[in-house]
Amino acid sequence: MVSEELLVQQLQAPTTQASAFQLLVNTYKERLYWHIRRIVVDHDDTDDILQNTFIKIFRNIGGFKGESKLYSWMYRIATNEALSFMKEKTRKLGNNDMEVQQKLIENLESDVYFEGDFIQLQLQKALATLPEKQKLVFNMKYFEELKYEEISEILETSVGALKASYHLAVKKIESFLIEN
Amino acid sequence: MNKKLDGFKIPEDYLDNFTHKLMAKISEEGSRETKRDGFKVPEAYFDSLYSNIETKINSPSPKVIQLNPIKKYYYAAVAAVLLFFIGLNLNTTAEITFDDLAISDIESYFEENDLDFSTYELAEMLPIDELEIKDIIDHQLNDENIIDYIDNSTDTFEELNFDPNE
Repeated sequence: MVSEELLVQQLQAPTTQASAFQLLVNTYKERLYWHIRRIVVDHDDTDDILQNTFIKIFRNIGGFKGESKLYSWMYRIATNEALSFMKEKTRKLGNNDMEVQQKLIENLESDVYFEGDFIQLQLQKALATLPEKQKLVFNMKYFEELKYEEISEILETSVGALKASYHLAVKKIESFLIEN
Repeated sequence: MNKKLDGFKIPEDYLDNFTHKLMAKISEEGSRETKRDGFKVPEAYFDSLYSNIETKINSPSPKVIQLNPIKKYYYAAVAAVLLFFIGLNLNTTAEITFDDLAISDIESYFEENDLDFSTYELAEMLPIDELEIKDIIDHQLNDENIIDYIDNSTDTFEELNFDPNE
């Protein structure tokens, strides 16, 4: 595994760019896929957003100054792309974001790319009731097992606020699961 | 280690690699079992992802072709707009400033247009430093009332005291 600094240098140099980019895609494709998938739920939408994310990374890597870590920068692009997509989808459907989330989860039961059992489906239903930020923090902490410091750098939010969001998300999920 | 021979044998290096293999399997199984959320991806999706992205990056962006009929009226439209503004300026004596806008006009603009601002974005735009709680709420609240309210209406009041070193 090459160091992040070296990888950035290779990505910015025209002669090594192609091979470095391939390495970058292969290293981060799964992590970014699951990060996006848990925001937009649908596989095909995730595929579009993931490809757009990598294309944006490729086109903008020249301007990457190393002020944040490469993976934080990539996660931030993926998060923004996914959230913008959801915003646009909500606007097009003319519903509020909670209704769109509910609809996505209802569709999960017939989705060929979802094979969750009852509990997993209930967890997704509980997640759909959370505000966007809490859901994002919960997914990043619980499923993606990122550290608070890493999430803080990606979402540009203080660690204290993240802990509060995660704590509230867990409480709400717990009460949803008990009630249902 | 001495051991009574019973004819059984094991593959070479099996025991040397066993711990490593087992730990790898445990961590794989463990993460799959505890953190599975039910989502799955089409077979071989990740294998073909790079080539899909590469194709998109290398394909030239499509050229936008201007429709001719629009061109015909373009200059006429520009001239008409210019004339309109010149006409307007001749009739006005003073320059219009932001203060000339009635508050009700601004309010109705915000109500009628879908500006698509999220709560966070609105919060960022509002100058909180100059805001006082009494600007929003007519009733005066003292700290004691607020604490009583939070204490009575939330189950988790104690937990709101987050430990920053947690």
